[in-house]
Amino acid sequence: MSELLSGTAIRPWIERLLADGKRVAGPQRVHEDLVQYAWLTSADQLALDGFVRPSNSIKEVVFPRHEQLYGYQFKGKRIELLPAELPTKEQIVIGARPCDAAALPALDGVFNWDTQDEFYNRRRELTTVVTLACGAYDAHCFCTSVGLGPGDVRGSDALLIAVDDENYEVRCLTDKGRRLFAGVTTESSAVGRVMEGPPVQFDLDKLGAFLAGGYDNPAWQAAAMRCLGCAACAYTCPTCHCFDIVDEGGPSGGTRVRNWDACQFSMFTAHASGHNPRGNQGQRQRQRIYHKFQIYPEKFGALLCTGCGNCTRNCPAGLGVLPILKTIAPTP
Amino acid sequence: MQEELRQTCRRLLTDGTVQVVIGYGQAAADDRVVPVFITRPEDADQLVWNDRCFANLAKYLLRKEVAALGRAAICVKGCDQRALLVLEQESQIDRSQLTVIGLACDGVGEPRQAKCQSCDVHTPRQADITVGQASAGNPPATADGRYAEIEAFLKKTPAERMAYWKAELSRCVKCYACRQVCPMCYCRQCIVDKNRPVVISTSATLKGNFAWQITRAFHLAGRCVGCDECTRACPAGIDLRLLNLSLAKAAEENFSFRAGMDPAADPIIGAYSQQDHEEFIR
Amino acid sequence: MSANIYQPDLMEVIQVRQQTADVKSVRIAFRDPEQARAFSFRVGQFGIFSAFGAGESTFNICSSSDWTDFIEFCFRRTGRVTEALWNAEEGDTIGFRGPYGNGYPLEKWKGKNLIFVGGGIAMPPIRCAIWYALENREQFGDVTIVYGARTVGDLVFANELDRWAEFEGVRVVRCVDPGGETPDWKGEIGFVPTVVERANISGENAVALVVGPPIMIQFTLPVLAKIGLPDASIYTSLENRMKCGVGKCGRCNCGPVYVCKEGPVFTLEELKRMPKDY
Repeated sequence: MSELLSGTAIRPWIERLLADGKRVAGPQRVHEDLVQYAWLTSADQLALDGFVRPSNSIKEVVFPRHEQLYGYQFKGKRIELLPAELPTKEQIVIGARPCDAAALPALDGVFNWDTQDEFYNRRRELTTVVTLACGAYDAHCFCTSVGLGPGDVRGSDALLIAVDDENYEVRCLTDKGRRLFAGVTTESSAVGRVMEGPPVQFDLDKLGAFLAGGYDNPAWQAAAMRCLGCAACAYTCPTCHCFDIVDEGGPSGGTRVRNWDACQFSMFTAHASGHNPRGNQGQRQRQRIYHKFQIYPEKFGALLCTGCGNCTRNCPAGLGVLPILKTIAPTP
Repeated sequence: MQEELRQTCRRLLTDGTVQVVIGYGQAAADDRVVPVFITRPEDADQLVWNDRCFANLAKYLLRKEVAALGRAAICVKGCDQRALLVLEQESQIDRSQLTVIGLACDGVGEPRQAKCQSCDVHTPRQADITVGQASAGNPPATADGRYAEIEAFLKKTPAERMAYWKAELSRCVKCYACRQVCPMCYCRQCIVDKNRPVVISTSATLKGNFAWQITRAFHLAGRCVGCDECTRACPAGIDLRLLNLSLAKAAEENFSFRAGMDPAADPIIGAYSQQDHEEFIR
Repeated sequence: MSANIYQPDLMEVIQVRQQTADVKSVRIAFRDPEQARAFSFRVGQFGIFSAFGAGESTFNICSSSDWTDFIEFCFRRTGRVTEALWNAEEGDTIGFRGPYGNGYPLEKWKGKNLIFVGGGIAMPPIRCAIWYALENREQFGDVTIVYGARTVGDLVFANELDRWAEFEGVRVVRCVDPGGETPDWKGEIGFVPTVVERANISGENAVALVVGPPIMIQFTLPVLAKIGLPDASIYTSLENRMKCGVGKCGRCNCGPVYVCKEGPVFTLEELKRMPKDY
């Protein structure tokens, strides 16, 4: 026996969630060629098929691109701090890809390293992730090369698997998932089948060996020659989480905010003295790969990459991590 | 034409005319075409030429890592070559040190990109070497229709236009892909990266995004050649052409100026003529 | 202390001293006496200081951990935030987050002779250790301080150099670059590494703390090696660009080592194992 989410039940279910004051996010068709995760204002906006994966990621729901940390008011020589309002609304992502869901448990590590980031943790607590198993992959997908797959459940509260064009088998994995789907699904004998993932595209062990000794390898400079130093890869990546902290305000006060930032920007590590430890793009690309495939796993036990392929798809120069990894750690 | 291009590359590297050929190559994964930097004659076979050669390679001439490779030859389509001319007129490249390989082009993209539908530079001008010939069945477009999408857009009411841009720019994440692909964006320190004072908020809020995109469009006034790289690069699918090209339209309508077309013309911001319109001075 | 790890404590400026034409030192105290009581730090740790409206900046806490009435930081006027801090007056409010970082391993330095070598604006991270050592004099052996700057006017905490020389077993060698001396200059003339060599310091049972511009460090290290100091006995304090100070913003790492968490204090032995991302 399995649980079935019928195609006709989806719209009313989402409308109810929205009416209950919950925030719902999912893939939306922005243009003919563009599907992005976005907050829904109506159930009609949700798109569940006809694409490989959205061009952005779901990290926005736990790590927004712009977030207020606290406010400050000038009171003569004194300052009054105004604590930020932490979110209180429940958030549900419907239709995340496995490579998006798996990013969240990976990010838990850094945001709780010795000190707890309450902004991230609060949003994480409030979020339920309903993952949709993939029905297709393209040349940029490499989830299977990093230990994931089209039906992987890491980070998911529930998994949807299409049983036909309209209906989905639901596998609830956590209490959050069970609570969400209570009364929404019906019993059925239909079982969804998860497709085979893409062939493995590089050798993780070989990569580890290369990184152990490859810091000064000229491959980094060669690989980065066409990199333009934008943040299209980092900002569409489910796991990239670097940020900047700035003050925004006027003569009476303002807010201190955190914004996404990226190690690919030329000034990311620039010192006030003018010295820049990562002054060329090869050094910056190298940092990205090391951070994702050596530094982060050593510290937090998880790769900082889920093989979603967004970096390459969104890179104007066709770079991203996969072309580099295939060069330095090819499969036999 | 591809073979002719490869032979040209081989020749230029073998006889030492250049140390690097900047061109298009095939990515390993799929049918994407990516920039390549050929430094050895035996690698010339990496070069390709097809209707997926989107990138405006002129940008790479401004990168120090590429400049360090030595004297360069660069493959350009007609639209890209216009960018080269603007860079030359703005003293950002030394044209005498550059070998320009002009690639005759019938358009890129399937279907053809918007810029190709109004293109009048199928054969790049001022090239040192021209490879191929634009097919006879694809004559250069005329001035009519050059700004058709902008004219159609301007027929909407201001409220409709504002709603459109609010919706579009809400997706901007400030990745600056638009800036980084643009050959005309070469400031050592971009205005958005300056903080004394903060002129443009770095936040990816509506306010910060409007400020950024409008400022960049203004800085492209009379300089944008319409290569459309910004639109292609944007990971959020924002139609930046619609915004940036409207300044090109203004330059042509008010000052009869099109960036990168006439080597003898002075850059529009850098020159003054008694005939310049002055209705805005009251 | 709020649960918001990014929210600073509010400090009152109690003293501003101008050290050079473009360097000031500022003493600040917690506005909240509870926070003051609960606060402690180890010399060598750093803080992130706010000029509200301008932003935050990272500086070493350059006062001794034994001083409980205030903490002190020292900065060069060079950018948006330091420009705002430059204009701070007594009674103004500055934000403070910290203490962050690992600090100096004073337990390992007990009983040793201490060699302090600094250049220019790098005196503050050394000053805190010097005062701690001198005020806990019996815990340490001989103290040698070599400090230099480009010109006499660039010496930071110059007035304290004389006071340090008054302590027993303390030798202070001050120097300026050739051409940087004034007619009445009584100290050495020469670049810091050269002066260190001339000073004929004994390396026996010693540890050294060397902080300064990369080129100064680069040429001082061989001198210290020559007097017999092993890499594990030579310490430095790194300065990387930082934002969060708590290991999350991804900016300050040298390979797997996050300068804000596992530094900024490193031995030369550790430094040699790290990628040159600093």
